[in-house]
Parts: sequence; C-alpha cells; structure tokens
Amino acid sequence: MESLYLLVPIAGLFVAIGLGIFVWAVKKDQFDDLDREGERILFDDEEDEK
Amino acid sequence: MNSKDCFHCGDPVPRNLCITSTVDNEEVSFCCYGCQAIADFIRGEDLSQYYRHRSRSADNPSNANTEEYANAFTLLKDEDVYPLYVHIDNQEHHIQLSVDGMTCSACAWLIEKHISSLDGVVSMHINLSNSLATLIWDPSKIDINDINHSANSIGYYLKPYRSDGEDTNRIEKRKSSIIKLGIAGVGMMQVMMSAIALYAGDIQGMEDSYKQLLRWASFCFSTPVVLFSASPFFNAALRDLKTRHFTMDLPVSIGIGLAYISSVYALFIDHGHVYFDSVTMFTFFLLLGRFLEEGARHKSLKNNTKNDELSSVILCKNDQPLLYPKSKLTLNDIIQVAPGESLPTDGVIVDGHTNIDESSLTGEYLPVAKSIGDVVTASTTNIDQTIKIKVTAIGTQTRAAAIERLTQRALSEKPKIAVIADKIAHYFVICVLLVAVLAYGTWYFIDQEQAYWIMVSVLVVTCPCALSLATPVALTTATNKLKEYGLVITRGHVIESLAKCQHIAFDKTGTLTYGKFDIVSISNIDSERIVDICSALEQGSIHPIAKAFQSTNHIKANKLVNHTGLGVEGEIDGAQYRLGNQKFIQHWCQDWHDQSIEPNALTLFLATESAIISRIVLQDRLRSETQSTVQNLRNAGFTVSLLTGDTKASALSVLCEEDFDAFITDQTPEDKWQWLSKKADLKRTIMVGDGLNDVPSLAGASTSIAMGQSSDLAKTHADALLLSNDISTIYQAILLAKKCQRIIKQNLFWAASYNGIMLPAALLGLIPPWSAAIGMAASSLLVVLNATRLSK
Repeated sequence: MESLYLLVPIAGLFVAIGLGIFVWAVKKDQFDDLDREGERILFDDEEDEK
Repeated sequence: MNSKDCFHCGDPVPRNLCITSTVDNEEVSFCCYGCQAIADFIRGEDLSQYYRHRSRSADNPSNANTEEYANAFTLLKDEDVYPLYVHIDNQEHHIQLSVDGMTCSACAWLIEKHISSLDGVVSMHINLSNSLATLIWDPSKIDINDINHSANSIGYYLKPYRSDGEDTNRIEKRKSSIIKLGIAGVGMMQVMMSAIALYAGDIQGMEDSYKQLLRWASFCFSTPVVLFSASPFFNAALRDLKTRHFTMDLPVSIGIGLAYISSVYALFIDHGHVYFDSVTMFTFFLLLGRFLEEGARHKSLKNNTKNDELSSVILCKNDQPLLYPKSKLTLNDIIQVAPGESLPTDGVIVDGHTNIDESSLTGEYLPVAKSIGDVVTASTTNIDQTIKIKVTAIGTQTRAAAIERLTQRALSEKPKIAVIADKIAHYFVICVLLVAVLAYGTWYFIDQEQAYWIMVSVLVVTCPCALSLATPVALTTATNKLKEYGLVITRGHVIESLAKCQHIAFDKTGTLTYGKFDIVSISNIDSERIVDICSALEQGSIHPIAKAFQSTNHIKANKLVNHTGLGVEGEIDGAQYRLGNQKFIQHWCQDWHDQSIEPNALTLFLATESAIISRIVLQDRLRSETQSTVQNLRNAGFTVSLLTGDTKASALSVLCEEDFDAFITDQTPEDKWQWLSKKADLKRTIMVGDGLNDVPSLAGASTSIAMGQSSDLAKTHADALLLSNDISTIYQAILLAKKCQRIIKQNLFWAASYNGIMLPAALLGLIPPWSAAIGMAASSLLVVLNATRLSK
C-alpha cells in the first residue's frame, strides 16, 4: 500500500501533462470547429480505397 | 428522399419534366438545369461521395444572385479596400471568406476538395461552425474572381469577410470556456476516483494516513476547478451584489465557495468531512449546460457582415455604367438598377419604366408599375426592366433605415420576460443565508464545537445544485429538440414564453402564404399543353410571374420579346403567341370579347392573333399547412390574428375572415407594432412574420418568430427562426415548450422538497456530512435524467 505515496503523485503528474496538451490544443484552434471534425474521417477513408 | 424530388436540391420536380443524369449507376432526376449542371460537374470531378455523406439537401441554385457575389470581388480589388481584407505574405495572399449555401460537413468537404484542386490555390480550409473559409492563393497564377466562379459552379457562394472586434472577442471567450470545461471535466473525474476510494475506505476501514493522502489528492485536483473553472460564477455573483439583483449565480457561488473552504479547513485541521467531489461535479455540470446553451445561440446568428465597402451599385457617369461602392454614393447621383436587383437607395426614376415588388415594405405581393418621376424605395426589388434612378436619400435617411430606427424603439420597449429560476433565486439566497446564520447562532449556544459543522451541512444540504440545474438542463434539451423540428431559438426566454403564449399574430405574405405567384386556374381542357407554351414564352424572364410557369422545356419558343407592364411575345412552330394582361391582348387579338377579370389576382391571357387560347389566373397561394395549423391552434384555445399590410380584399382572396379571431389589414409597419403593443396580453403574444414591414413588430413583440426565408433584418430581430418554413412546427413547438415547462416544474418541485426535508434534519444536526453530499449528487442526477425525457 505504500506504493500509493508514489503512484498518486505520478497520476497527478500525468493529469497535469494531459491538461497542458489540451490547453495548448485549444489555443492552437484545434477545437474551433466542433461540427465538422467528427465526420471528416468518413471522407478520407473512401479516398484511400480508390 | 422522395423520387419526385430533385436529386441535388430536394425541391419537388415539376410534373412532366424530365431532366436526368446517372449518378452512382442510378438514374436520378432534377428540378432544373442548374441543379443538373452542378451534379454533373461534381460527378465529373470525381467528388460524388458528397451525395452519399451529406445529411441535408443543397440549396436551389436559382435562388442566388451570382452577380452580387461577383461584384463584391471586383470591388475588393480597389486599392483602399484590398488591404482591409487581404493579408499579403510574399507571393501568398490570405483572405477570409464567408460561404453561403453550406448545409452540412459534406458541403465543406466538397468545397475544400474542389477549390484546393485549382492551380494557384495554396490551401482552402473551411470552418463549418461559423461558415467561414480561409483561403490562401497566389494571385499571379489565379484570379480570386475565378476562384469565386468555380465555387459558384458547384452551387456555393463566397464573399470576402472581415472580422471585427466582436468576432475576436467571441472566439476568445469560446476558447476560454472550452478550457474551463475541460479542466472541470478532468478534475471531476480525478476527484471522483479518490472519493470512491474514500467512501469504500469508510465502509471497509482504511488507515488514516491513506485517507489523508487521498484527501490531499482531491484537494490538488479540485483547486484549479474551483479557482479557475468556476470563476465565471464568482464574477457573476459579484456583479449581482453590486446591482442588488440576485440571480442563480449567487447561491451557486456561495455553495461552491463555502463547500470548498470548509473542505480545505477540514483537511488542515484533520477533522470533519471534505466535499471536493460534490464541488467539482456541480461545477462541471453547470459549465456544460452553459456551454451547450451558448453554442446553440451563436450557431443561429449568421455572419452579418457590415462590409458596406463591398456592396456595389452601377453608377452612371457621363452615360457610362461604372461599378461603384455603395458607401461612396452621394445625393443626386444617377444609378442603374437591373431587373431582379434590389434598390440600394431611395430615389426617383429618371429613365425607364418597370414594375417594382414592394412586398418587403408593404406586404402587397402584386408588383407596382412605376415610370419616370415616380418615387422608389430602398430594399424593394426591380422586376421588369433596367431603370435609372436619381438618389434622393442615402444611408440613415432612407425609408428602410427609418424602419430600422422604429425597430430600435420597439426593442427598447420590449417587455422583459423574467426567467422563473432567477425569480426564485432572489428569495432563495436571502432565506438560505438567514437560516445558515440562525443555525450557527443557535448551535453556538448549545454546542460551540459543532456549530460550524452544522452550518456547513445546512449550506451543503441547501446547496442549490438540483435547483440551479433544474431549468438549464431542461431548456438545453428542449432547444436541441426544437432545432430538429426546424425552429432555431436565438434568445433564452423563448421556450418559457412559448409555453405561456395565448395569442399568435401572423403576417400574411410570405408567412401564411408562399409569397409568390401560383397558377390558380386555367380555362382550357388541355391545360398541360398551355403550361408548356407559357413556360416556353416565359423562358429567360425573371419576372415573378415567370416563376409560376416552371420550365418544362417541351417546346421551344423563338424571337422572345418582353413588353414591360404588358406581357411577353414569342414564336412557337411558326405561330405568333402572346401571353399577358388584358391591355396587351385586347387590341391585338381579333377574337377579343369581354373577359372577366378576377379581383385581387392576376388574370393573364394566352392568345394568337386569331384566337384567345386560355385565361389563366395567378395568385399568391396559402401554404399547404396554413389552414390546418390555424385550425389546430384555435381548437387548442389560442387566439389567432392576421396582421398584414395588404388590403382587406387581397387578404380575403386567400383567407377566410372566420378563420381568425382578428383580421387586421392595411397596416403600416408602425401600425402593426402599435396594434401589438396595445394588446393587454402582450406578454403572451407571439408574432410570426418575414418581411421588412414586420421587423418593428418582430422586435417589439415579447416573442417573435421569423420565417427561414425572411429578410436579414427580420432574422436578426426575431427571437426564433423557423428554418423549415413549415408553420405547423409552431404548434408542435408550443406543445414541446409546455412539456418542457412541466418538466422544469417537476424538477423545481423535487429540488425544493428535497431541500425542504433535509434542511430541518441538518438543522438538528442529524445529517452526517457525507450523506448530505451523496444526497446532493443523487438529486442532481435525478433532475438531469428527468430532463432527458424531453428529447424522446
């Protein structure tokens, strides 16, 4: 159980890194268009088949 | 899709018309050659997967005025204007374009693919959420006008776009709320994990040191959520305190703030309960609700670009037509207006005679004949012939601008609809604070040790989680459902006022009717042949009458001549035909004998020189669902009024007076608004309209709905947009709004009674803090689940 003293802070570190990437992505306009990106994959897929 | 609908735009295909192509080995039909050309082009470019993935049909290409878009690009090249729109980076020029005609992500894909494939285009990126495109191109290889043309050829229309401070502000705000929401979401999940371990530890037994570790972990994760993500609530609460008008933000802030502070206190003195889990979850759900609500609102507001420097007019200088920016016009300039264009300013006709469609100002759908010396008004549409007008008023002096001013006045007198939750919040805050202070005071004398913790559990129990979630979640769900019906809500109060509404006032032209001519009767047995002849004669005319005869292309007419104010003439199979009004036929046709003329409708005659072939009556037609909707509304107990600028006789020709509780005709835009504002039940009145003449009443009515095809000004001032143009949706929407209201009441009742029962128990010190926290979460969840019933 002592491992918790190490694991909980490590988990915290990961969360902080994840959030950092998230904030960076928002600032780089990655979340500008929430309507379209979900469907983009449909189009690219078919083109590869050709 | 119905097999009788156009493959490209989804409009019904006129009977007897056969325009077909093969797409994906399947024969499909079109409503017009424009649609066929676009579809063939798309197929030729190997982009036909657009049709497989799109979720909505395209707009019909014949509705767009391509010239206006092309002119904007010509004016863009002006030296003064160019740097305002275009950013130059070496050889690459960057511009933002607003895109008209996009309906779904397949459209965005199609445009990107097509434009990027052009030689000289470096990149084209489309943002579907705000209908804006970013284009980078090399002007030495391709002209921007050609890029626009090639977008036109697949049915989309580009216009240069310049973002103003408001846009940048909105984008920044949106980004910041996404970040806040993300942090709150992740923080909530982490705290929940620790919380589950802590609760399990309470049951199974856990060493205190581990418990303390988990508490510290949840403290670390919840701190940014409270201090950063929840900051909008705190700011709003501070504003409330300053204005002395309490909204839900105040109890929310007190709940979050106190629960957090006491948890931190408990953590440091190592005694008492921590509420980090409840705090983070509550913050996250509230933020999520607000984010969705805001998103729905912004989506409906189109890019109303105020780029006056790009709206063009044709200026006649020394008898030479010249493309000129509207913003530089001065009084007494002579401008030329082609048929089909809307007039840019008020003026007096100095050359030519034509018919003017003034329906946007007066509601009268029959065009009015105007000739030299007659006064014409901005925002009306020229129909027949090219005219020259002398400018008599510009900008804010025009009649259309006067309507705008009237609108501003109406808007400022608009009755405010208070939102239930805010009304409750006001008293709720005062009560909660009073009770908490009393509890602390009383327990201070009984048991000083416990007094603080009892006050905290009173505050947690009365924390308005469920209460403050009760309304927004139900409203968000209902707003999304209404969007599926085709009714887009642009102001927050609409659902509440729809549910309370008792009186509905409808405009006539364009709202209850289609606002265009339709064939009512044809006096001849072989009516199909007649329609064929007529449409051949009207081929190429942009007169609204021509639209009544959709092109069937079975017959070809030669030597077409257009006689303004009279009719058209042409040759079919060697015989001379005329289609027009009585004056046109009377003296030409030898077989003329007195014919009856329908009042308030347009009577046309089709004739050869020797015989009258047919008498055709054209009239504006009621929407197919009008009659049943008005009936349904009245049966359900609503008062339904007609409020039109048209004459009574004209209104009676399509509507029955008995169908309405009030039949108000001959109204100026100001009259309409006055009539509405005199209504005693103004707060329970909905106004439905479309034209410029409805704008003041739309702005002034407590709730207003504009049709999807309305003028831009009407759309901006309406509380909701009926994109489907199907007025039966209004009845459905009212029913849904009522259901929503019921669910809000159930939610509020549950939340209030939960708080009511738990409060005395907490006051007596009977509620351990952990069960107060669980109860709070459970009651919030129940409220959310109840609201999801609306989406079924």
